[in-house]
Amino acid sequence: MNVQVGQEIPELVKQPTTRQLVQYAGAQGDFYEIHYDQAYAKSVGLPGVILHGLLKAAFLGQLVTDWLGDRGTLKTFEVSYRGVDMPGNPYRCRGRVTRVDGHDVELEVWGEDESGKRTTVGTATVDFRG
Amino acid sequence: MITTAEAIERLKTRVGVDGPEVTAPVEAGHVRRFVEAIGDPNPRWTKEAPPTFLVALAPVSLHLADAEEYGQGWLNGGNRFEHFAPVNIGDEVTSKGRVVDVYDKAGSSGNMLFIIFETDYTNQRGELVARVRGTAIRR
Repeated sequence: MNVQVGQEIPELVKQPTTRQLVQYAGAQGDFYEIHYDQAYAKSVGLPGVILHGLLKAAFLGQLVTDWLGDRGTLKTFEVSYRGVDMPGNPYRCRGRVTRVDGHDVELEVWGEDESGKRTTVGTATVDFRG
Repeated sequence: MITTAEAIERLKTRVGVDGPEVTAPVEAGHVRRFVEAIGDPNPRWTKEAPPTFLVALAPVSLHLADAEEYGQGWLNGGNRFEHFAPVNIGDEVTSKGRVVDVYDKAGSSGNMLFIIFETDYTNQRGELVARVRGTAIRR
């Protein structure tokens, strides 16, 4: 394992679409209308349908597990949703190593909208023992 | 529509009380549909469930009619996943959720109600495989 504090892991850029939101709603079983019904989303004060927070969490999970490969396991993973994201815009997932303690590695992870605003921020801990 | 104080008072009675247990198999087809939906083609997920899959197995927040009398909609404030053991396809997982905290906060568009949920996931061998926490916001 060659991991250093400050190292940025390879980014992951997702291109969420309304179709993906419907697919995710079905797969997760979350049928809250703000994720697929434009009129409903606007009626509760949103600009339109928005990404599920948990879909953004899944993207950030993939960011970490893509980097990890079969070298280890994602142990804890915590995200905070700071802003809404709309389908049709790229969602850029990034992460950086913040601590290395033997086999245990901590990262900060975040998701950026097109303007570079961090709409999801979080941390992940991974165990390189596999 | 109920007031913040009324909502908090009602929801406080739910804190620490376990919701009903839900047992569900981790099915290959369900995991496949989930990884297709999130767009994660990692071959690891043909045997193991990806990090956030458990939220698809049982609702992460309990349906709280009392909370829905407050404000106009839900937002997800955040999630925390703690993984203690892998979840594999073919496992049978039992989830048990509860409300762990309720509080309010003043936001830019008025008061918001925060409900913290926690769900424990146990496999068929009785091992605690994961704990997932979620912050549901009612505004």
